[in-house]
Amino acid sequence: MRKMITVILILIFYIALSAQQEAGQDIKKAQNFILEDLDGEFVELYEITGDGPILLSFWATWCKPCVEEMKELNKIYEEYKSEGFNLVAISIDSEKSVSKVKPFIKSKNYDFIVLLDTNSEVARTFYAQAVPYSVLLDENGSIVYSHMGYKKGDEKEILNLIKSLIGKS
Amino acid sequence: MSKKSNSTAAAFILLLALCTENYSQDSYKLPNGLSLSNQLEYSYNSEKKTEIFENWLNLDYTYGIFSTGIRFEVFQPNDPDPSISRGKEKYSDIAYKYIQAKIGNRREGLFLTVGNYYEMFGRGLILKSYEDRNIRIDNNLEGVRVEGMYGNFILKTLTGMAANSKNERKDILHAADLEYRGIKKLKLGFSLASNIPGEESASNTALASLRFDTKLWNFDIYGEYGVKHNKDISDQISNGEEAKVGDGIYGNVGFNYGSFSISGEYKKYDNFSFQSYDGTIQYNTPPSLTMDYSYILLNRHPYPLNANNENGFQFSAIYNFTEDTYLTGNYSYTRTLGKDSYYQRFLGINLESQAQQEDVYFQLNHGWNSNFESILAFGYREELVTNTKSITPVLEGKYYYDDINTFRVVLEHQQVKEFNTSEEYFSDILLLEYLRSPKISVSLVGEMQTKEPEAANKERNFWGFIQFGYKLAEHTDLSLLIGSRQAGNICIGGVCRYEPEFEGIELKVLTRLY
Repeated sequence: MRKMITVILILIFYIALSAQQEAGQDIKKAQNFILEDLDGEFVELYEITGDGPILLSFWATWCKPCVEEMKELNKIYEEYKSEGFNLVAISIDSEKSVSKVKPFIKSKNYDFIVLLDTNSEVARTFYAQAVPYSVLLDENGSIVYSHMGYKKGDEKEILNLIKSLIGKS
Repeated sequence: MSKKSNSTAAAFILLLALCTENYSQDSYKLPNGLSLSNQLEYSYNSEKKTEIFENWLNLDYTYGIFSTGIRFEVFQPNDPDPSISRGKEKYSDIAYKYIQAKIGNRREGLFLTVGNYYEMFGRGLILKSYEDRNIRIDNNLEGVRVEGMYGNFILKTLTGMAANSKNERKDILHAADLEYRGIKKLKLGFSLASNIPGEESASNTALASLRFDTKLWNFDIYGEYGVKHNKDISDQISNGEEAKVGDGIYGNVGFNYGSFSISGEYKKYDNFSFQSYDGTIQYNTPPSLTMDYSYILLNRHPYPLNANNENGFQFSAIYNFTEDTYLTGNYSYTRTLGKDSYYQRFLGINLESQAQQEDVYFQLNHGWNSNFESILAFGYREELVTNTKSITPVLEGKYYYDDINTFRVVLEHQQVKEFNTSEEYFSDILLLEYLRSPKISVSLVGEMQTKEPEAANKERNFWGFIQFGYKLAEHTDLSLLIGSRQAGNICIGGVCRYEPEFEGIELKVLTRLY
């Protein structure tokens, strides 16, 4: 039974892959997701796609490099939000620390979108094997860049890509 | 080198070659809809002459409303820790596979999953099925999950089986969660879950809870109350007269005003652990109300969650003086339950309630100028699981040489008193790190532990390792550790994994491709 399921899954992969290659589509669109924001409202990725590049930043309150990176990403967001750039910070804080997410964000006065991925469902979809983890999407929602971890200076690479996506470079 | 070692090394070299040669171009993309990730961990313990090879390969495909995927796991040889190895010295299998369809949207839609899946209701009091590879937890369910949205209602129903410590799926879990969002800034929820044991003579265990989540002005309030039912336990503690055999309460109030925020939480978990019949699958993980730390010594004496016998609270606050200077504080306190608790009645014991854990933590971050930042932290912890009291000051400095080069120094000192033996000892850690964006990191970590079993007779132990980090293109991260490391705990959400003392080489390769 187990072997049969495996064979079926591999066949599905193969057929779907072949069909895709024949169709000649080369747009690499990120998978859609729906998560709650800090006010309990649902936010759907495809509904906020289309105005400009979107940076999905997976983070957690207990992660020091994430907090450091967020400060730098916020500077980029403040400078380029008027040109369509959107920063979406996806917290992977679990049931244990999710109550600290809103207090942290509010105390820092950040106003970008913050979503709660309490059981890491979306993090798994985007292969966020560790945090911080960033995925940059263009205005069509296609993945153009991903990066794991944070060192001072990493934000410059992201900034250059954002500039090129909004036609500023 | 043995035949087994040869095959492991061959597989390892092949994976490395794949990472470095074929897929090293930044512009490489998989065909539309297809994505994969691979996590490889290899360690060789030079003292014990043992090796561990672990690899997780995820392959996922999405086409329109459909998605499917597998996770192929290879553990050969496996980690000898019985809680990780699940009784298998060598293991390779497709451990996770699913087909999913998403029809409609969040306002009116239906999501269907067949195969393996994860799920969490509310804050995990009733059900939390999840994977955390850092602590080697994976209680995925195999079965069917249906989620329907209509108007202001969201209904999730599922049936599935999780793998026990022998990697067998015997018990069946049925669960449902209904959420109502029809009132502005208020959500109401009801969860129900029932475990049907593989053993026919045993009774079902069922848990149910009610929860609310509201936002009023600058306040965020969450509350959940759950009860547990099991006929066998009911017969044991009340001759079947009381249907309820355990309960759990969790509450949280958050408040923010300007640069100040505070969060208070309360818990009471009485005989509320929700497990499979054999006790090796944990279905629920309520909030533990303890801190997770990023410093090594602060995790040395953790307090693990006990969902059967806890009563406590936690306060966390943050105040930002400026953008670069802020103070965070945390206080948590946990007691065991009293004589009248379901837990004590079930075990037939008669003990007074006692303090189980007390934790105080302060951290001050300060940016001196654009090139230098410092962190001063202080932790005090008293807990009865390892029966220790510890005081831990930490000093960290970070110097930004230029836009891409950073130097970091961390000094940790811990003073520990063991109540059982009245022994006192000290641990000191020095970490020196160089980071060069975006590809390179090098860390040197040294630890010294000083014990004085007899007056004027000091015993000192040393551990030290060097760790290299390197990024291959944008999709692969390598980490290589060489040296020795003191035993310790990795704790996430109150669930801990003990890592024994280690001396040797450890390699990690993380790859993801879209």
